Amino acid sequence: MASTIPRGRQSTRFWALFAAPGVGWLIAFFILSIYAVMAVAFGSVDPFLKTPIPTWNPLEWDFTTMSDVLREVFTGYLQKVFLRTFGFVTLALLGCVLIGYPIAYFTARLAGRSRGLLLAALVLPFWISYLMRMLAWTNLLQPDGFVNQVFGWFGMPDNRNWLDGDWYTVVIGLIYGYVPFFILPLYSTLERLDGRLIEAGRDLGASSFQTFLRVTLPLSVPGLMAASVITVLPMFGDYYTNTYLTSGSPRTEMVGNQIENYLRNTGQPQTGASLVLILMAMLFVLMVYYLVTTIRQQRAAER
Amino acid sequence: MRQSRRDFLARSAQLGVLLGAGVPLLQACGGSDAKRSKVAAGIADGLEPEAGPLRIINYADYVNLEVIADFESKYGVKVEISTIDTDTEATTKLASGAIKADVHHSMASTSIGNLIAGGLIQPLNKSYLTNFPNVISTFNDPWYDPGAVYSVPYTFFGTGIGYRTDRIDPALVESQGWDTIWNATDFKGQVSVLDDEREAFTMAMLRKGVTDINTTDQAIIDQALADVSELIDLVNVKVNIEGYKDIPEGTTSIAQTWSADLITGAAGYLPEGVTDEVLGFWHPPAGQYVVTNDSMGVLANADHPVLAHLYLNFLLDNDVAEKNFSWVGYLPAIAKMNADYVIDAGYVPEHLRNCVPTEEEIATALYMKPLGAAGDKLYEDAWAKFTAGG
Repeated sequence: MASTIPRGRQSTRFWALFAAPGVGWLIAFFILSIYAVMAVAFGSVDPFLKTPIPTWNPLEWDFTTMSDVLREVFTGYLQKVFLRTFGFVTLALLGCVLIGYPIAYFTARLAGRSRGLLLAALVLPFWISYLMRMLAWTNLLQPDGFVNQVFGWFGMPDNRNWLDGDWYTVVIGLIYGYVPFFILPLYSTLERLDGRLIEAGRDLGASSFQTFLRVTLPLSVPGLMAASVITVLPMFGDYYTNTYLTSGSPRTEMVGNQIENYLRNTGQPQTGASLVLILMAMLFVLMVYYLVTTIRQQRAAER
Repeated sequence: MRQSRRDFLARSAQLGVLLGAGVPLLQACGGSDAKRSKVAAGIADGLEPEAGPLRIINYADYVNLEVIADFESKYGVKVEISTIDTDTEATTKLASGAIKADVHHSMASTSIGNLIAGGLIQPLNKSYLTNFPNVISTFNDPWYDPGAVYSVPYTFFGTGIGYRTDRIDPALVESQGWDTIWNATDFKGQVSVLDDEREAFTMAMLRKGVTDINTTDQAIIDQALADVSELIDLVNVKVNIEGYKDIPEGTTSIAQTWSADLITGAAGYLPEGVTDEVLGFWHPPAGQYVVTNDSMGVLANADHPVLAHLYLNFLLDNDVAEKNFSWVGYLPAIAKMNADYVIDAGYVPEHLRNCVPTEEEIATALYMKPLGAAGDKLYEDAWAKFTAGG
């Protein structure tokens, strides 16, 4: 008897070690990061250099800045920015669904032999950095750019200045930037969808549209949810799409722009860090909703 | 709080990938080990230069790399440049130790007092700065560093209006002054103001005849905020520092810009077939003209302080300064390189002569001065309200 631990448990312990890098990663880059942001948000600032002096002891945290920022978020000038950001992200998400779902559906279920090629095409945008793609758009959208040329070919007005600080340019930019992230998780769900269920729907007399509505769509909800979470979270923190596509118009300022400004150009890093925490708290609510729905669906599926 | 004005694209490319949360983390993790008092003594006379490498902190594209190569071969050392995007970022990274450097290449005038008080820069030993007499005399005793004890000037420029002479009559701009920007309703979407709260609000104050541009009077700042916010609906104003590129390229017709932006624009950003005749610049009359300059200094904890002094001296050499200017486009604070000189040498077109502030204009200029944390906060908060949409 070399060991008193039963074999089964020993191997469980061994496999549990595989979680260690993940746990370590979470502690280092999530828990500690948030703690650091909190230490800045509730800390002080060097009077001369205006650099943050983080307060690491939670008992000494100063919540004055946070309460000021919260007041602005709910009743002041930041309310507008939060509502605008929320509106942009909602519209962009809607656009991602309208564009992404048909593409994912086609690739997963109808593409046949060309599926591999389509998948490669979907991954293609990742080969070029997001910033480079946005820079390309600033050229395409210029008054004498390619987009207006194409409009001209079809006899449509070709003198629009797309970079004029309009909400739709930012929404288009967000959709363009994030739609590949939306399609891929949705594709993997649709691809695993049990074809027999759809056949059963058709066999039982439902039209193809009815089958889609009552079988395919409900079954793709987990994929839609995952895809939405993956795209919405970074969209809320996005600021460079806006910066590039509107040359810094105050009409399209998003929360991310305010955070960037406070952290990089002012002597008020606590305000920027407070905004980070507020945004995270709001996203946390969305995240919890996602987790609760997913767990419920899993349980329902297991039943 | 002035941002890097040289290359907005580079600026964003470097930090664009960071989400908001990443930045405070970097700042927080650095800790704060800055010394808390002035550094009293500089280096002694007659020391041999260190072996290097000389480490420099600077904005992107804000020094001619050929000049750097010349320095390397003259002194047989390597030079390493760390790039920063904003003045605030430079201070943060130097204070936290995230970047260690010998030379701060481009200190904003508003920051120098804080860098001295915070103990980040050391007094210069003028015995190494034999080229200092080349500097424009006004900078021998600048307001931000009396006696130029801690700094030598690098570049200087004034704030005015850059515009397209083919779209708006220069005589009209001359007669309207700052009102040009508020009256530019025919140029909706082609008007911009500088992405800097002090610059933009100062413009609004000067337009209303307020010349105490360092005021911390809340009512005046509120009025400036209201005036600048009017521009959102009046002219669909943009907020950026890209006039040097957008005016020559034509996407912007009228912009609050730095004088140097027109020189840079004429030299390198005109599309094919467009001559520099389309570029115009207006600045307020003496006494209402805001002139700003960047300065070089040696960090208090520099490992190579002697070499750093030699570098400062190198940049103050007339020929080196000219070579640097020919690429950077921002005028060095060198007396020899006045308007006549740079126009004769072909660096600046004659019709942009007013982009070179004269010694008189520098001497009578208005200066944006540091206002302390509480004063700066007034401007920063007003700015956040403007950029949020007014």
